[in-house]
Amino acid sequence: MQRLYITATLNRSTLQFEEAAYARLESYLAEASRTLAGNPDQAEILSDLEQAIADQCSKRLQPGSSVVTLAELQPALEEIGPVQIPGSAIGSDREFRFSGRTLQQVSEGAMISGVCMGFARYFGLDVTLLRIMAIVLLIASGGTMVLVYVILMLLLPYAPAERGGAPVRKIPTWSRRFVEYVRAKFSAVTS
Amino acid sequence: MSNDSKLAPIRKGLLEFLVLKIVGARSAYVPDILRRLADTEFATQEGTLYPLLSKLRREDLVQYEWQESDAGPPRKYYRLTDAGKAQLASLDAYWNRINRTIVEIGQH
Repeated sequence: MQRLYITATLNRSTLQFEEAAYARLESYLAEASRTLAGNPDQAEILSDLEQAIADQCSKRLQPGSSVVTLAELQPALEEIGPVQIPGSAIGSDREFRFSGRTLQQVSEGAMISGVCMGFARYFGLDVTLLRIMAIVLLIASGGTMVLVYVILMLLLPYAPAERGGAPVRKIPTWSRRFVEYVRAKFSAVTS
Repeated sequence: MSNDSKLAPIRKGLLEFLVLKIVGARSAYVPDILRRLADTEFATQEGTLYPLLSKLRREDLVQYEWQESDAGPPRKYYRLTDAGKAQLASLDAYWNRINRTIVEIGQH
């Protein structure tokens, strides 16, 4: 009986794989594809990696052999290494900055004043979730939530401006001007 | 090394700078770049380098052209764009400043 091999075209090279090796190849590429999800160059990077795998496997094939087994594929994949997104060091830097546990308003990317953004950051939650909760509370409270929002807006400090962060929309700019005006008036009255 | 968790982010952050330096010296394809880094603290792998090069290309710091090779399929040769050269020059200057600060600080 003849064994079945799988022929795979990796970018510009065509190679035959033993079943187990092919399964391993597929799982590597699927993982790479997941890691690169949303990357505009995903397809191109995957082709580059496929080519690298093909080159590495061809280099390792025993003379006279034309079928890639795990014995060639495994060291090839180890040499290529898992796909890593550049700048995740910067990502951890962001996490570090955000772990400062103070409740602040965040103007960048805010819808109104940045209260929800601030709560989302404080609790490490998705801002959309916070906004939905705020709207539910707004309806449930019959509008009292508006007052709570305005009080929070007037009381919470603003997070320092971020370089490279989301842009500040018009409304947060206006609401911040309003907050600063009210605070100035208030401190003028109390002093 | 017990300090490695502190040093790893530094290496990671500097890799982009080193890749710009290598590609800036002369156009290179990925195995050239890997070989150049292999014996250094910055040894890296295709899985890291291809996404990084694609990011640099998207930022218009490098570009590549296809070149035929004697063995196997054509290869992508990367080189710096004018923006890449400018970025490399400013990174170099910045690095020299940081390095001077690190050497000098705490000496007295």
